[in-house]
Amino acid sequence: MATSKQKNMTPQQRNYQQLQQKHEIKRPVLKNCIKAFFVGGIICVIGQAISYFYIYYFDFTEQSVGNPTVATMVFLSMLLTGFGVYDRLGQFAGAGSAVPVTGFGNAVISAAIEHRTEGFVLGVGGNMFKLAGSVILFGVFSAFVVALIKTLLVIWGVL
Amino acid sequence: MRATHRWVLLACLMLLSSCDQNQQVTDSQLTLMKKTNPSPIVTQKNKSKDQIKDIEQDVSSFPELYDVAVVEGKKDTLVVYKVKHLYRFKMKKIEKNINKMLERKYPDENFTISSDYKIFLETVRLDEKMKSSKYTGKKAEKRFNEIVKMTKELK
Repeated sequence: MATSKQKNMTPQQRNYQQLQQKHEIKRPVLKNCIKAFFVGGIICVIGQAISYFYIYYFDFTEQSVGNPTVATMVFLSMLLTGFGVYDRLGQFAGAGSAVPVTGFGNAVISAAIEHRTEGFVLGVGGNMFKLAGSVILFGVFSAFVVALIKTLLVIWGVL
Repeated sequence: MRATHRWVLLACLMLLSSCDQNQQVTDSQLTLMKKTNPSPIVTQKNKSKDQIKDIEQDVSSFPELYDVAVVEGKKDTLVVYKVKHLYRFKMKKIEKNINKMLERKYPDENFTISSDYKIFLETVRLDEKMKSSKYTGKKAEKRFNEIVKMTKELK
C-alpha cells in the first residue's frame, strides 16, 4: 500500500516527504515504554494495597475484593482528573496511566469537564461516555464471547 | 521552597514517622506478605492435636504450597494454604489433589479447603485470639463456623 502510494507521488511530493522525514522528531519509544511500565506498575501496586486494606479491615475475600478495589481506583482517578493531576500523569506515562482501570475514570470525567459548558443534559450527560462508551461496549462484548467459549468448553468437558 | 519539594519533604516525614521500633508486630499483620506457619488449632481446648498435626504435615508436603494452617472444629476441619506464585495458574488442580489426598487418608473427617488469603488471615487471627485465656472454646467454635461459612460463600 505504502509503496504503491509512493509510486503515484509527484517528484515534488517525494522531495517534500524526504524533507519532512529529515526534520521529523523521532519518538522515544523505549523511554515511553519504560515510563508506562513503571507508572502502570505503581498504579497496580496502589490497587493491590487497596485490596489488601479491604481484606484486612472488612469482610472481603480475595475473590470478592476486586469490586470495591476497582470502584475505589476509578473514584480516585476521577478526583485526580478533576484536580488536573491525572492529565499531567497521562502526559508523562501515556499508556501506563490509560490502560489500567483508572484510565476509565479519567476518560469519563475528562469528557464531562470538556462538555460542561454545553449544559448538564446535552453537554455532560450526552458526552460523558463519549470515550468510555467504547470501553463499556467492547468490554461487555468480549466478556460475552469469553463466557460463551468457557460455557462450550465446560459442556464439552475440556474444563 | 518549591511546591514539589514541599510535597517530597512531607511524604518523607510521613514515611519516617511511621517507623516505630517499639511497636509490636503480630503475625496477622504480616500474614499476607510473609510465611507465618501458624500452629494447628483445635477449637475445643481439651482435644488432642495429634491428628491435626499429621494433616498439616501431609498438606505441607505438597511442593506447590508454602504456608499451611489447619483448624479443627466440632464437625469440620478447615485446611487453608498459600500457593507459590508460579503455581497459582494451577490452583484448581492443586485443590483437587489436596482434597483427594485428604479424603483418602482421613475418610472420617469433613474437610473444607481454601486458598483464599482472607480465610488464611482469619485463621491466623483466630490462632492469636486463642492464645488468650479469656477466649473460650465456644467463642472459638462460633468464629470458626463463621470462617467456614465465608469459604462456602466463595463457591
